[in-house]
Amino acid sequence: MTAALGLVFFYAPLEEEQGFLQKIFYVHVPLAIVALGGFVLGGLLAIQHLRTRDARWDYRSYVVIHMSLIFALGTLITGSIWAKGSWGHWWVWSEPTLVSFLIIFLLYATYQPLRFAIEDPERQSRYASVFAITAGAFVPMNFIAVRLSTAYLHPRVLGSTSNLPASMSFTFLVSLVAMALLFATLCKYELTAKHTRAQVRALRRRLAGEAPGSVARGRSAAPALHVGSASGAATATSRSAL
Amino acid sequence: MTSAALLGAIPALPLHTAGKYVAGAYVVLFALVLIYVAIMAIRLSRIEGELGELLSLAERDDVPAATSAEREPQRESTPA
Repeated sequence: MTAALGLVFFYAPLEEEQGFLQKIFYVHVPLAIVALGGFVLGGLLAIQHLRTRDARWDYRSYVVIHMSLIFALGTLITGSIWAKGSWGHWWVWSEPTLVSFLIIFLLYATYQPLRFAIEDPERQSRYASVFAITAGAFVPMNFIAVRLSTAYLHPRVLGSTSNLPASMSFTFLVSLVAMALLFATLCKYELTAKHTRAQVRALRRRLAGEAPGSVARGRSAAPALHVGSASGAATATSRSAL
Repeated sequence: MTSAALLGAIPALPLHTAGKYVAGAYVVLFALVLIYVAIMAIRLSRIEGELGELLSLAERDDVPAATSAEREPQRESTPA
């Protein structure tokens, strides 16, 4: 990330048309790509969940979508700031790329309430996986639809990076890799934290004298993690969930 | 005003004007990460507290067990 910031401000040249304002490109576009990629990845993980019925895939899908939503929020905010500086407006409703991204964001914003609305953990994970797959398929379709639309107003990035000078392309790619690494790190961080919490709860139940497999669970949007067995096999399984 | 008209009227902003927008965009990213890390830190400290409670609970349970285990050999050795 530090390397990316260094390249953005000390290596990449100023763009002719937008000048210094174009530096937002190196944060806004990688955020958008990583967020959309995360949504698609969440769908793929959900497919794996439905195929194997293994709760760990649902758990991973949940965390990836959650993180993508945060990145998508960052995309919307940085995009609005760029639009204000560039076009003089915070938001332009006639711009298909902006509106389609907002639609995707709002679609995924319903993911957590959907999970929360279903109390039974088994049904919750199944319905959430179906949602993640459907919405994940919607993301590339939406992307293609916007590309095919006649109004080519929004700056095109994918497919047109070759038009950028080499120094700008390199800076953009480093920024993209940095953003992807940040995404992966935060996902891992959240997975570990949630898993540790589940283990602590399981340990508490064990010390309280409850059965090892029992799950005391209220209504929650987060998937239920079944940890708590003291056997080595179970520990290995719970570790591999990360 | 249409998007085309808006784009047609784009001037390259001078550094002193563009700077605040660029700074704003990067601050947003930094703030999002910072808020996220802060929330996770709060959760982590909560887990740490819970672990401390569990440790004291486990130690409390272990003390009677250890005491009774120490007494067992004494009972066996008494008849001999």
